[in-house]
Amino acid sequence: MTTETHREEPAKHEAIELVLARLLRIGSIIAAALLAAGIGAMLLGGHAVVGPRLITAGLLALMATPIMRVVVAGLIFTRDRDWRFAFFCVVVLCSLVAGVLLGHGHGG
Amino acid sequence: MAIGAGVIGSVLGLGGGIVIVPALTILFGVQMRTAVAASTVSIIATSTGAAVAYLRDRLTNTRVAMWLEMGTSLGALSGALIAGYLHQRFLYIMFGLLLAYSGYNMFRTRKAELPGEVVPDRLSRKLNLAGSYYDRMLGQRVEYQVTRTIPGLIIMYFSGAAAGLLGIGAGIFKVPAMDQVMRMPFKASTATSNFMIGVTAASGAVVYFARGDVKPLVAGPVVLGVLVGAVVGARLMVRMKTSTIRKLFIPLIVYTAIEMIYRGVRG
Repeated sequence: MTTETHREEPAKHEAIELVLARLLRIGSIIAAALLAAGIGAMLLGGHAVVGPRLITAGLLALMATPIMRVVVAGLIFTRDRDWRFAFFCVVVLCSLVAGVLLGHGHGG
Repeated sequence: MAIGAGVIGSVLGLGGGIVIVPALTILFGVQMRTAVAASTVSIIATSTGAAVAYLRDRLTNTRVAMWLEMGTSLGALSGALIAGYLHQRFLYIMFGLLLAYSGYNMFRTRKAELPGEVVPDRLSRKLNLAGSYYDRMLGQRVEYQVTRTIPGLIIMYFSGAAAGLLGIGAGIFKVPAMDQVMRMPFKASTATSNFMIGVTAASGAVVYFARGDVKPLVAGPVVLGVLVGAVVGARLMVRMKTSTIRKLFIPLIVYTAIEMIYRGVRG
Protein backbone atom coordinates (compact mmCIF):
# COMPACT_ATOMS: atom_id res chain seq x y z
CA MET A 1 0.00 0.00 0.00
CA THR A 2 1.19 3.46 -0.84
CA THR A 3 0.02 6.36 1.26
CA GLU A 4 0.46 9.90 0.10
CA THR A 5 -0.36 13.10 1.85
CA HIS A 6 -2.99 14.98 -0.08
CA ARG A 7 -5.07 17.60 1.64
CA GLU A 8 -7.58 18.24 -1.10
CA GLU A 9 -10.76 16.26 -1.64
CA PRO A 10 -10.56 13.38 -4.11
CA ALA A 11 -11.10 14.67 -7.61
CA LYS A 12 -10.21 12.02 -10.18
CA HIS A 13 -12.91 9.45 -9.54
CA GLU A 14 -15.90 8.11 -11.36
CA ALA A 15 -19.14 9.71 -10.29
CA ILE A 16 -20.82 6.40 -9.43
CA GLU A 17 -20.31 6.84 -5.66
CA LEU A 18 -21.92 10.27 -5.69
CA VAL A 19 -24.89 9.12 -7.78
CA LEU A 20 -25.49 6.16 -5.46
CA ALA A 21 -25.00 8.36 -2.37
CA ARG A 22 -27.70 10.72 -3.65
CA LEU A 23 -30.04 7.82 -4.38
CA LEU A 24 -29.56 6.28 -0.93
CA ARG A 25 -29.97 9.66 0.74
CA ILE A 26 -33.25 10.33 -1.04
CA GLY A 27 -34.45 6.82 -0.12
CA SER A 28 -33.58 7.18 3.55
CA ILE A 29 -35.05 10.68 3.82
CA ILE A 30 -38.36 9.57 2.29
CA ALA A 31 -38.43 6.49 4.54
CA ALA A 32 -37.53 8.46 7.67
CA ALA A 33 -40.15 11.15 6.93
CA LEU A 34 -42.92 8.57 6.37
CA LEU A 35 -41.93 6.60 9.49
CA ALA A 36 -41.77 9.73 11.65
CA ALA A 37 -45.12 10.97 10.30
CA GLY A 38 -46.70 7.57 10.94
CA ILE A 39 -45.35 7.26 14.47
CA GLY A 40 -46.38 10.87 15.13
CA ALA A 41 -49.92 10.16 13.91
CA MET A 42 -50.11 7.11 16.19
CA LEU A 43 -48.85 9.02 19.22
CA LEU A 44 -51.37 11.81 18.64
CA GLY A 45 -54.06 9.14 18.46
CA GLY A 46 -57.29 9.23 16.52
CA HIS A 47 -55.67 7.95 13.32
CA ALA A 48 -55.90 4.21 13.80
CA VAL A 49 -55.62 3.62 10.04
CA VAL A 50 -53.39 6.45 8.85
CA GLY A 51 -50.46 5.82 11.24
CA PRO A 52 -49.74 2.17 10.41
CA ARG A 53 -50.24 2.88 6.70
CA LEU A 54 -47.67 5.67 6.74
CA ILE A 55 -45.23 3.42 8.62
CA THR A 56 -45.78 0.60 6.12
CA ALA A 57 -45.17 3.03 3.25
CA GLY A 58 -41.94 4.11 4.95
CA LEU A 59 -40.78 0.50 5.38
CA LEU A 60 -41.57 -0.24 1.73
CA ALA A 61 -39.63 2.83 0.59
CA LEU A 62 -36.65 1.62 2.62
CA MET A 63 -36.89 -1.93 1.24
CA ALA A 64 -36.98 -0.64 -2.34
CA THR A 65 -33.85 1.52 -1.89
CA PRO A 66 -31.10 -1.17 -2.03
CA ILE A 67 -32.81 -2.88 -4.97
CA MET A 68 -32.95 0.45 -6.82
CA ARG A 69 -29.29 0.86 -5.90
CA VAL A 70 -28.34 -2.32 -7.80
CA VAL A 71 -30.48 -1.24 -10.79
CA VAL A 72 -28.92 2.23 -10.92
CA ALA A 73 -25.39 0.82 -10.51
CA GLY A 74 -26.14 -1.52 -13.41
CA LEU A 75 -27.31 1.40 -15.56
CA ILE A 76 -24.18 3.42 -14.74
CA PHE A 77 -21.90 0.48 -15.60
CA THR A 78 -23.83 0.02 -18.86
CA ARG A 79 -23.47 3.73 -19.67
CA ASP A 80 -19.72 3.47 -19.03
CA ARG A 81 -19.60 0.35 -21.24
CA ASP A 82 -18.25 -1.57 -18.27
CA TRP A 83 -19.96 -4.75 -19.44
CA ARG A 84 -18.44 -7.07 -16.86
CA PHE A 85 -19.78 -5.07 -13.95
CA ALA A 86 -23.12 -4.49 -15.66
CA PHE A 87 -23.34 -8.29 -15.93
CA PHE A 88 -22.51 -8.65 -12.21
CA CYS A 89 -25.46 -6.36 -11.41
CA VAL A 90 -27.77 -8.50 -13.56
CA VAL A 91 -26.61 -11.65 -11.72
CA VAL A 92 -27.30 -10.00 -8.36
CA LEU A 93 -30.73 -8.79 -9.47
CA CYS A 94 -31.69 -12.22 -10.85
CA SER A 95 -30.75 -14.01 -7.65
CA LEU A 96 -32.62 -11.40 -5.59
CA VAL A 97 -35.76 -11.92 -7.67
CA ALA A 98 -35.32 -15.71 -7.48
CA GLY A 99 -34.90 -15.46 -3.71
CA VAL A 100 -38.09 -13.46 -3.35
CA LEU A 101 -40.03 -15.83 -5.61
CA LEU A 102 -38.70 -18.78 -3.69
CA GLY A 103 -40.17 -17.28 -0.57
CA HIS A 104 -37.38 -18.04 1.83
CA GLY A 105 -36.07 -15.32 4.11
CA HIS A 106 -32.51 -14.61 4.94
CA GLY A 107 -31.62 -12.35 7.77
CA GLY A 108 -28.44 -11.22 9.27
CA MET B 1 -31.91 0.75 21.97
CA ALA B 2 -32.55 0.93 18.23
CA ILE B 3 -30.34 4.00 17.84
CA GLY B 4 -27.55 2.16 19.66
CA ALA B 5 -27.96 -0.83 17.35
CA GLY B 6 -27.73 1.52 14.37
CA VAL B 7 -24.52 3.10 15.66
CA ILE B 8 -22.89 -0.28 16.36
CA GLY B 9 -24.01 -1.77 13.06
CA SER B 10 -22.86 1.13 10.93
CA VAL B 11 -19.45 1.49 12.60
CA LEU B 12 -18.67 -2.23 12.39
CA GLY B 13 -20.30 -3.03 9.05
CA LEU B 14 -22.71 -5.49 10.62
CA GLY B 15 -26.46 -5.80 10.47
CA GLY B 16 -27.11 -5.26 14.15
CA GLY B 17 -29.46 -8.26 14.34
CA ILE B 18 -27.22 -9.52 17.12
CA VAL B 19 -28.56 -6.65 19.28
CA ILE B 20 -32.08 -6.19 17.92
CA VAL B 21 -33.41 -9.75 17.95
CA PRO B 22 -32.58 -10.54 21.61
CA ALA B 23 -33.65 -7.04 22.73
CA LEU B 24 -37.06 -7.34 21.08
CA THR B 25 -37.76 -10.91 22.15
CA ILE B 26 -36.37 -10.78 25.68
CA LEU B 27 -36.95 -7.16 26.74
CA PHE B 28 -40.14 -6.41 24.85
CA GLY B 29 -41.66 -9.88 24.60
CA VAL B 30 -42.03 -9.67 20.81
CA GLN B 31 -42.53 -12.94 18.89
CA MET B 32 -39.39 -14.39 17.28
CA ARG B 33 -40.75 -14.14 13.70
CA THR B 34 -41.73 -10.50 14.19
CA ALA B 35 -38.35 -9.72 15.76
CA VAL B 36 -36.39 -11.34 12.94
CA ALA B 37 -38.50 -9.51 10.34
CA ALA B 38 -37.99 -6.16 12.09
CA SER B 39 -34.27 -6.88 12.37
CA THR B 40 -34.02 -7.72 8.66
CA VAL B 41 -35.66 -4.43 7.66
CA SER B 42 -33.39 -2.58 10.07
CA ILE B 43 -30.33 -4.12 8.37
CA ILE B 44 -31.43 -2.15 5.31
CA ALA B 45 -31.72 0.93 7.52
CA THR B 46 -28.18 0.46 8.86
CA SER B 47 -26.84 -0.05 5.35
CA THR B 48 -28.72 2.81 3.69
CA GLY B 49 -28.28 5.32 6.52
CA ALA B 50 -24.53 4.86 6.81
CA ALA B 51 -23.69 4.30 3.14
CA VAL B 52 -24.26 7.95 2.21
CA ALA B 53 -21.36 9.13 4.38
CA TYR B 54 -19.12 6.21 3.39
CA LEU B 55 -19.74 6.72 -0.33
CA ARG B 56 -18.90 10.41 -0.04
CA ASP B 57 -15.62 9.63 1.70
CA ARG B 58 -14.98 6.85 -0.89
CA LEU B 59 -14.59 4.39 1.95
CA THR B 60 -17.01 2.08 0.15
CA ASN B 61 -15.41 0.26 -2.73
CA THR B 62 -18.39 -0.07 -5.08
CA ARG B 63 -16.56 -2.30 -7.55
CA VAL B 64 -15.49 -4.76 -4.86
CA ALA B 65 -19.04 -4.59 -3.49
CA MET B 66 -20.66 -5.46 -6.84
CA TRP B 67 -18.21 -8.29 -7.44
CA LEU B 68 -18.75 -9.80 -3.99
CA GLU B 69 -22.52 -9.26 -4.01
CA MET B 70 -22.68 -11.94 -6.71
CA GLY B 71 -21.28 -14.34 -4.13
CA THR B 72 -23.54 -13.28 -1.27
CA SER B 73 -26.77 -13.21 -3.26
CA LEU B 74 -26.10 -16.54 -5.01
CA GLY B 75 -25.01 -17.98 -1.65
CA ALA B 76 -28.15 -16.78 0.10
CA LEU B 77 -30.23 -18.25 -2.70
CA SER B 78 -28.59 -21.66 -2.52
CA GLY B 79 -28.63 -21.54 1.28
CA ALA B 80 -32.37 -21.10 1.20
CA LEU B 81 -32.71 -23.89 -1.39
CA ILE B 82 -30.78 -26.52 0.56
CA ALA B 83 -31.87 -25.37 4.03
CA GLY B 84 -33.94 -28.45 4.71
CA TYR B 85 -31.27 -30.97 3.72
CA LEU B 86 -28.37 -29.99 5.92
CA HIS B 87 -27.42 -30.65 9.48
CA GLN B 88 -27.93 -27.30 11.21
CA ARG B 89 -25.90 -28.26 14.28
CA PHE B 90 -22.89 -29.14 12.17
CA LEU B 91 -23.21 -25.84 10.31
CA TYR B 92 -23.38 -23.81 13.49
CA ILE B 93 -20.22 -25.46 14.82
CA MET B 94 -18.38 -25.11 11.52
CA PHE B 95 -19.22 -21.42 11.05
CA GLY B 96 -18.58 -20.79 14.75
CA LEU B 97 -15.07 -22.25 14.50
CA LEU B 98 -14.43 -20.23 11.35
CA LEU B 99 -15.41 -17.05 13.19
CA ALA B 100 -13.26 -17.95 16.18
CA TYR B 101 -10.30 -18.36 13.83
CA SER B 102 -10.87 -14.99 12.14
CA GLY B 103 -11.35 -13.41 15.57
CA TYR B 104 -7.92 -14.75 16.53
CA ASN B 105 -6.42 -13.38 13.32
CA MET B 106 -7.98 -10.01 13.95
CA PHE B 107 -6.57 -10.02 17.48
CA ARG B 108 -3.08 -10.65 16.12
CA THR B 109 -3.31 -7.66 13.78
CA ARG B 110 -5.16 -5.41 16.25
CA LYS B 111 -2.41 -2.75 16.26
CA ALA B 112 -2.14 -2.38 12.50
CA GLU B 113 -3.66 0.84 11.19
CA LEU B 114 -3.33 -0.15 7.52
CA PRO B 115 -2.32 -3.34 5.72
CA GLY B 116 1.24 -3.29 4.40
CA GLU B 117 2.22 -3.58 0.78
CA VAL B 118 -0.33 -5.69 -1.06
CA VAL B 119 0.35 -7.16 -4.48
CA PRO B 120 -2.92 -7.35 -6.45
CA ASP B 121 -3.69 -10.61 -8.23
CA ARG B 122 -4.45 -10.71 -11.97
CA LEU B 123 -8.21 -10.68 -11.67
CA SER B 124 -8.13 -7.77 -9.24
CA ARG B 125 -6.13 -5.80 -11.79
CA LYS B 126 -8.39 -6.82 -14.62
CA LEU B 127 -11.51 -5.79 -12.70
CA ASN B 128 -9.82 -2.61 -11.54
CA LEU B 129 -10.64 -3.22 -7.88
CA ALA B 130 -7.96 -1.02 -6.33
CA GLY B 131 -9.31 1.93 -4.39
CA SER B 132 -8.37 4.96 -2.41
CA TYR B 133 -10.03 7.02 0.27
CA TYR B 134 -9.30 10.05 2.38
CA ASP B 135 -8.78 8.98 6.00
CA ARG B 136 -9.94 11.81 8.26
CA MET B 137 -8.25 10.26 11.27
CA LEU B 138 -4.85 9.88 9.61
CA GLY B 139 -5.32 13.09 7.63
CA GLN B 140 -4.07 11.50 4.42
CA ARG B 141 -5.18 9.70 1.30
CA VAL B 142 -4.93 5.95 1.55
CA GLU B 143 -4.47 4.05 -1.68
CA TYR B 144 -4.83 0.33 -1.56
CA GLN B 145 -4.76 -2.80 -3.68
CA VAL B 146 -7.05 -5.80 -3.45
CA THR B 147 -5.85 -9.38 -3.74
CA ARG B 148 -7.20 -12.98 -3.59
CA THR B 149 -10.21 -11.93 -5.62
CA ILE B 150 -11.59 -15.42 -6.23
CA PRO B 151 -11.15 -16.74 -2.65
CA GLY B 152 -12.95 -13.57 -1.49
CA LEU B 153 -15.88 -14.35 -3.78
CA ILE B 154 -16.02 -17.96 -2.55
CA ILE B 155 -16.05 -16.86 1.10
CA MET B 156 -18.86 -14.41 0.29
CA TYR B 157 -20.79 -17.27 -1.28
CA PHE B 158 -20.56 -19.20 2.00
CA SER B 159 -21.29 -16.07 4.02
CA GLY B 160 -24.47 -15.60 1.98
CA ALA B 161 -25.31 -19.28 2.40
CA ALA B 162 -24.82 -18.97 6.18
CA ALA B 163 -27.21 -16.04 6.25
CA GLY B 164 -29.72 -17.99 4.15
CA LEU B 165 -29.36 -21.18 6.22
CA LEU B 166 -28.99 -19.89 9.75
CA GLY B 167 -30.53 -16.44 9.44
CA ILE B 168 -27.55 -14.86 11.17
CA GLY B 169 -24.10 -13.57 10.41
CA ALA B 170 -24.52 -11.42 7.33
CA GLY B 171 -21.82 -8.90 8.09
CA ILE B 172 -19.65 -10.75 10.56
CA PHE B 173 -18.11 -12.97 7.84
CA LYS B 174 -17.82 -10.22 5.24
CA VAL B 175 -15.58 -7.90 7.22
CA PRO B 176 -12.86 -10.51 7.98
CA ALA B 177 -13.05 -11.80 4.40
CA MET B 178 -12.22 -8.37 2.98
CA ASP B 179 -9.84 -7.40 5.76
CA GLN B 180 -7.87 -10.62 6.21
CA VAL B 181 -8.24 -12.47 2.92
CA MET B 182 -8.48 -9.70 0.33
CA ARG B 183 -6.20 -7.47 2.42
CA MET B 184 -8.32 -4.33 2.19
CA PRO B 185 -7.92 -1.60 4.85
CA PHE B 186 -10.19 -2.32 7.81
CA LYS B 187 -12.27 0.81 7.38
CA ALA B 188 -12.84 0.10 3.69
CA SER B 189 -13.84 -3.45 4.67
CA THR B 190 -16.48 -2.38 7.21
CA ALA B 191 -17.84 0.34 4.90
CA THR B 192 -18.06 -2.05 1.93
CA SER B 193 -19.66 -4.74 4.11
CA ASN B 194 -22.16 -2.15 5.31
CA PHE B 195 -22.95 -1.28 1.70
CA MET B 196 -23.46 -4.92 0.72
CA ILE B 197 -25.66 -6.16 3.59
CA GLY B 198 -28.58 -3.98 2.52
CA VAL B 199 -29.01 -5.82 -0.76
CA THR B 200 -29.26 -9.35 0.67
CA ALA B 201 -31.45 -8.10 3.50
CA ALA B 202 -33.80 -6.46 0.99
CA SER B 203 -34.79 -9.74 -0.65
CA GLY B 204 -35.31 -11.33 2.78
CA ALA B 205 -37.33 -8.33 3.92
CA VAL B 206 -39.63 -8.51 0.88
CA VAL B 207 -40.37 -12.15 1.74
CA TYR B 208 -41.11 -11.36 5.41
CA PHE B 209 -43.28 -8.47 4.30
CA ALA B 210 -45.28 -10.68 1.93
CA ARG B 211 -45.80 -13.20 4.77
CA GLY B 212 -47.12 -10.41 7.01
CA ASP B 213 -44.30 -10.73 9.54
CA VAL B 214 -43.31 -7.08 9.25
CA LYS B 215 -45.50 -5.49 11.93
CA PRO B 216 -45.57 -1.69 11.45
CA LEU B 217 -45.94 -1.04 15.18
CA VAL B 218 -42.80 -3.03 16.02
CA ALA B 219 -40.70 -2.46 12.90
CA GLY B 220 -41.56 1.25 12.45
CA PRO B 221 -39.97 2.65 15.63
CA VAL B 222 -37.04 0.18 15.52
CA VAL B 223 -36.21 0.98 11.90
CA LEU B 224 -36.47 4.75 12.43
CA GLY B 225 -34.16 4.47 15.45
CA VAL B 226 -31.65 2.36 13.54
CA LEU B 227 -31.73 4.79 10.60
CA VAL B 228 -30.89 7.73 12.88
CA GLY B 229 -28.24 5.64 14.66
CA ALA B 230 -26.64 4.64 11.36
CA VAL B 231 -26.31 8.25 10.18
CA VAL B 232 -24.67 9.20 13.50
CA GLY B 233 -22.52 6.05 13.54
CA ALA B 234 -21.16 6.68 10.05
CA ARG B 235 -20.06 10.20 11.01
CA LEU B 236 -18.26 8.78 14.04
CA MET B 237 -16.61 5.94 12.14
CA VAL B 238 -14.88 8.06 9.49
CA ARG B 239 -13.05 9.90 12.31
CA MET B 240 -12.18 6.80 14.33
CA LYS B 241 -8.88 4.98 14.50
CA THR B 242 -8.82 1.61 12.77
CA SER B 243 -7.44 0.01 15.92
CA THR B 244 -10.39 1.35 17.93
CA ILE B 245 -12.91 -0.13 15.48
CA ARG B 246 -11.03 -3.42 15.57
CA LYS B 247 -11.15 -3.46 19.36
CA LEU B 248 -14.93 -3.08 19.16
CA PHE B 249 -15.20 -5.77 16.51
CA ILE B 250 -13.15 -8.45 18.26
CA PRO B 251 -15.45 -8.99 21.30
CA LEU B 252 -18.48 -9.16 18.99
CA ILE B 253 -16.87 -11.75 16.71
CA VAL B 254 -15.80 -13.82 19.74
CA TYR B 255 -19.28 -13.58 21.24
CA THR B 256 -20.93 -14.65 17.98
CA ALA B 257 -18.47 -17.54 17.58
CA ILE B 258 -19.23 -18.82 21.10
CA GLU B 259 -22.96 -18.36 20.58
CA MET B 260 -22.88 -20.32 17.30
CA ILE B 261 -20.76 -23.16 18.71
CA TYR B 262 -23.02 -23.30 21.77
CA ARG B 263 -26.12 -23.55 19.60
CA GLY B 264 -24.50 -26.31 17.58
CA VAL B 265 -23.39 -28.32 20.60
CA ARG B 266 -26.69 -27.90 22.43
CA GLY B 267 -28.62 -28.73 19.26
